[in-house]
Amino acid sequence: MTKILVIEDDPQTAEEIAACLTAGGFEAVNRFDGPTGLEAAKSERFDAITLDRMLPGLDGLELIKALREAGSEAPVLMVSALSDVDDRVDGLRAGGDDYLIKPFAPKELVARLEVLLRRHRRPEAEVRLAVADLELDLVKHEAWRDGRRIELLPMEFQLLEFMMRNAGQLLTRRMIFEKVWEYYFDPGTNLINVHVGKLRRKIDTPGLVPLIRTERGQGYMLHAP
Amino acid sequence: MRLSEVWRTTTFRLSVVYGLLFAVGMVALLAMVYVRSAVYLTHRVDDILAAEAAAQVRVAPAALKPTIDAALTINGRNSVFALFAPDGTRETGNLSAMPAGLVPGGRPVEIPATAQFPVAARLIAKRLPSGEVLVVGRDINQLRQIRRIIASALIWSGGLIILAGLAGGTALSLGPIRRLRRLQAASHDIAAGNLMRRMPSSARGDELDMFADTVNHMLGEVERLMSEVRASSETIAHDLRTPLTRARSQLHRLEQAPSASPDQIAQVTAELDEVLERFVAILRLSELETRARSAGFAATDLDRLLRQVAELYQPLAEEAGVRLSLASTPGVTVEADAKLLFEAVSNLVDNAIKFTGDREGYDGEVRLAVEAEGPRIVVQDNGPGVPDAERSAVLQRFYRSERDRLTPGSGLGLSIVAAIVRMHRFRLELQDAAPGLRCVIDCGARP
Repeated sequence: MTKILVIEDDPQTAEEIAACLTAGGFEAVNRFDGPTGLEAAKSERFDAITLDRMLPGLDGLELIKALREAGSEAPVLMVSALSDVDDRVDGLRAGGDDYLIKPFAPKELVARLEVLLRRHRRPEAEVRLAVADLELDLVKHEAWRDGRRIELLPMEFQLLEFMMRNAGQLLTRRMIFEKVWEYYFDPGTNLINVHVGKLRRKIDTPGLVPLIRTERGQGYMLHAP
Repeated sequence: MRLSEVWRTTTFRLSVVYGLLFAVGMVALLAMVYVRSAVYLTHRVDDILAAEAAAQVRVAPAALKPTIDAALTINGRNSVFALFAPDGTRETGNLSAMPAGLVPGGRPVEIPATAQFPVAARLIAKRLPSGEVLVVGRDINQLRQIRRIIASALIWSGGLIILAGLAGGTALSLGPIRRLRRLQAASHDIAAGNLMRRMPSSARGDELDMFADTVNHMLGEVERLMSEVRASSETIAHDLRTPLTRARSQLHRLEQAPSASPDQIAQVTAELDEVLERFVAILRLSELETRARSAGFAATDLDRLLRQVAELYQPLAEEAGVRLSLASTPGVTVEADAKLLFEAVSNLVDNAIKFTGDREGYDGEVRLAVEAEGPRIVVQDNGPGVPDAERSAVLQRFYRSERDRLTPGSGLGLSIVAAIVRMHRFRLELQDAAPGLRCVIDCGARP
């Protein structure tokens, strides 16, 4: 079972995160302050860590630096009430792998963790991605479905690559906007819907089994039938 | 009103200081007059004494005594004439003995009234060739009286000036103290919460009025901000109440129903997500408003930025049936935080598409442009526009027009744009595009 270390000082938030993780098939271990969190992360092997930015005893940034210096490579999802671009940059620079802003939907936390775990397990140096009969050639920048070439604009290609890398995984609109476009503001629901819709019309042409599924009120999932 | 209060006023202190300065000036002037006139008069007396002595010295020794007696007969009330033998005994004249300190050929000496000469006199002595000593003197009462008059004028006028200064200072201080009392009363009232109250000011335009006007201007700003805060709290409460009430009633229905469908749960989740989304927008806004740093500022190519925005929004525009066009000028750069400026322009474009699209029989168009003059970023649509009366209001924090309330989104888009523009010290203008709205970010303006 995938083990996640949850370092969060607010007991209620910690409990909620743990419940979500358990429901998502993970095993959650809670620590409520910086020093014990760091101790646990160093002494035990965890598949991923969620880390509150502001912790008693040891600040989240300090903790992650210490952890990386100790040689740990576990992916870290930082959770913070600070949404400033600079704070995000600080968090990622210190060694965090992703940054989630409070308040967040629990599903989004699980979704982001899964993306992190997947990326961590599989190196990005792949040259070819495939989901069912959909193939993506990362070197030639070509997409194929059912043996037919699909013409994609550069942004559409990046969007498809992101979705294929995380096939079978719920991707929220905000995650898509952050990972594909690398902007960190609220783009509004419609903007991402339209982009995914356009991609879907090219991928899931009539007669083929649809691969992109809408998760109502949450986001999208690309998956093999 | 206490006396100590009067003493502490600036008006009083200034009046007293000026009174003292004036008194010192007056005293100096009178002292000068006194000294100069006393010296002059004394010299005059001395000159006369010297002339009279010289005249007597020229008289033949044998005729000297009769001459002195004759002079005493004529002028014995105002003048002193006396002749002393070489041994100091009096030979004739209206002086009984040589006064102490009077030296023949030496400096003049003043003596008080004596039995023979009933007023004070100024004397000189001359030694005659015969060895006798001739003493000549004059009444100096007049001289002394003049000195006394000047000295008393000096004392009285100095005293009067000081008194007048004190009285004037007190009188002049009373007015300002009364006005300060009124200002104090007004400020207590304001501090107690009456923000409508203003500091009293007169038509004079003096320093107290200037102060009152400044405070009144500040109070106006405070009142405006307070009403904005009040309005924003009301808006937030109003905005959040609707989705929360809906979520609550849906949960209530779910509780009553024998089993809940995933769709129903998803609906409640969507309502709560909407609440969370607004919170995120509100937090973002307050973060932008408190941020004054320019850490992320760098030369930003506006043409490139607008191309990226256009690329991002093209599909949305297409779906809404809006033509999105870009008329840009290459090579225009400004110092800005590119990500934040992108967010601002995105919000404007999003709004423009939202309000221009989906109107039946309407050929919606949104134009994006970089103008080198300024330089300016222009986002223009041919939608319904914003009425004149609302145009400046929509830029205020949390202001939402009726049309905003009917469209999806946090409704804080324009507030976020305004906050980003303010942070850059650019200027945001909303103009009538007849028809439509023309939003201009003037990057040249640094107010």
